[in-house]
Amino acid sequence: MQIVIKLFASLRHNRFAQTRRDYATPPSVAQVTADLDIPAEMVGIILINGRHAGRQDVLQEGDILSLLPLIGGG
Amino acid sequence: MKTLTRTPPAQDPSSVLYQRCTIDLATGSIGFAEIPCRNLEEVLGGFGRSFQLLAERTVSEAYSPGNPLIMNTGLLTGTNIMTGLRTYFSAYSPLKHSDAGLPAAMWSAASGKFGSKFKWTGLDEVVFENRSEQPVYAVFSAGDDGPRVELLPAGQLLGLSTHEKIMTLQRAYPEDAHFAVIGPGGENFREVYMGAIAVSTENQLRSGEGKSRFAGRGGMGSLMGYKNLLAIVARSPDKLQKITPAVRDINGEIVKGIGSARFQPLSQGGGGGTWANYEVLQAFYAVPENNFRPTGNDGVEALFRENVEKDLSIRSEGCFRCGIRCHNNIYQRQADGSRGEFLAKFDFEPLNLFGTNLSIHSGPEVARLIHACDDLGMDAISLGTTISYVLDYNQRHPDRPLGNGARFGQFTEILELVEGTGRGRFPELGRGLKRLSRSLGEVAYAIHVKGLELPAYLPETNPGYAFAIAGGHMSMGTHMLLAKEGKTSLDDWTAAITGPGLLQVGYDMIGLCKFVGVGIGHALISKAVKEATGLEIASADLVAAVRRAYLRGLALERRQGYTLAEYTLPEQVFTDPNPHVTLPSFITREFMAQLQERVWAVFEPEMDGLLP
Repeated sequence: MQIVIKLFASLRHNRFAQTRRDYATPPSVAQVTADLDIPAEMVGIILINGRHAGRQDVLQEGDILSLLPLIGGG
Repeated sequence: MKTLTRTPPAQDPSSVLYQRCTIDLATGSIGFAEIPCRNLEEVLGGFGRSFQLLAERTVSEAYSPGNPLIMNTGLLTGTNIMTGLRTYFSAYSPLKHSDAGLPAAMWSAASGKFGSKFKWTGLDEVVFENRSEQPVYAVFSAGDDGPRVELLPAGQLLGLSTHEKIMTLQRAYPEDAHFAVIGPGGENFREVYMGAIAVSTENQLRSGEGKSRFAGRGGMGSLMGYKNLLAIVARSPDKLQKITPAVRDINGEIVKGIGSARFQPLSQGGGGGTWANYEVLQAFYAVPENNFRPTGNDGVEALFRENVEKDLSIRSEGCFRCGIRCHNNIYQRQADGSRGEFLAKFDFEPLNLFGTNLSIHSGPEVARLIHACDDLGMDAISLGTTISYVLDYNQRHPDRPLGNGARFGQFTEILELVEGTGRGRFPELGRGLKRLSRSLGEVAYAIHVKGLELPAYLPETNPGYAFAIAGGHMSMGTHMLLAKEGKTSLDDWTAAITGPGLLQVGYDMIGLCKFVGVGIGHALISKAVKEATGLEIASADLVAAVRRAYLRGLALERRQGYTLAEYTLPEQVFTDPNPHVTLPSFITREFMAQLQERVWAVFEPEMDGLLP
């Protein structure tokens, strides 16, 4: 199965903005972030197809996973 | 601060005494007092203490002799705990006011090194009473027999920019001194109610570049101008304690912690500071544009860091001895690629409010606007948001425009508005958005709450703004809840506002910067207090004190005439939802009414007895 991964802001640093990845079985968000070597605590917002999601949510064929960093005011 | 016993201050706050200096600017008389704390809020300091003094006064006009300007520090200001640098300025605000016309109590905070220097003079607080007939500046010095204070003529400072004032004072006090000053904005207090106070930084004094920090919100600089107090000097040798292994560990946790990581430079594996909000919010088309009306296109990307960096040089720097290098200082890029002249500091708020929210998409132009606002000594949030309203109004009414007729995207005209406001030529802008929009009878798209202009987070994403007591995002930590977690239920928002959201104000008591990255109830804060001051304050007691201080502020708002109906959002949120924002649209009038009911049901019983 194939998913689309979008990274934003600092998470793109030394990685990519958008890519497609193949998985043999449906991965969890946590599995994808681990594959990308993104520390869990650096991910502030997780969206699957534009909707807020959690680390344990499992992706399906064609899903778009967006990962955004922690943000803060100032 | 002096501690008399080892009893935890939550049990016996009077065992902790603070040093207050009271200056009558009208007569020049100066008094000192060692005052026992009445509760834990006074031990912690900042607005937790100053609001109790303000609550004892009846003030119906901000520019009146009876309105004191209180400058104080927090328990951890001037200690070795990282970010412990804060100075607080509190008073009844010339800017923020209820529909009844009464001024609201406000505070504003700044980092830099001034607060530490002030504390090292031996004082914790100064109360400036009345007003001086002539322009003066105050000098606080550490003496062998205690703090010394002088009031000196300040005519030579009149008309100078904030940076020029600081550098002029540095020439007069070249050793061991730091400075808090107002700019022309504060001097023109009759026409400008949003004057800021600039405080000096080590970097500024060393480099000669305009790198002040600002206590901007609520017009504390304008009140200083009314009092004819143009500057404050704090002189003392550095008095940092020896760094113990425990303090070193605490600072290590702060600087390496995930909470502060988002403010660290990208090159250090951090998030790059608040600038990153641009990219994150744009994922939802929630970056303010054209007076808080995102257009749903990619225009804002011109101000993404990677695009700004093509034309300008960015250097990450920090405050005095702070390992969180959150300042994104912007310099010209020379033809050979080297770093040129310093232009401005890019944080999300001024970058957006002088950038895409005015339809300005050029980094150098935004830098110029920020620099002008800083030099004139005005609050970037209040001025930026007021100007965006003016541009919106002018677009709607081309036949009868405001100010100089500026429109969205017109850099030269907008710069003229910034400069003209600071010089007192546009009092309709300088007196703030609430007064302006009410005078015009067009309030729906005036983006303020309770008379204080909103920061660069859309009002339709944060009903918590209604319950912020001193600035939309600095005194209610709910401004990112929707973007972060997608929360839209009444239960979630009630819990956030009445729980962790209000604890945001704890940093404005204890002397730490919000970028320390851990909650006020975190065990690390309690440990830091113990290591730096010897005081045992349990996390639960800290949280309870912060909550009481917040609720006292809310009670004080109500006493100053705020009605329940004023705890709401700009009307446009309800009447004209923006179709481009992809975050859930959930704030209806009905939602807001139910939220108000539920929040007050929690708060009101706790507010009893908090005011004298």
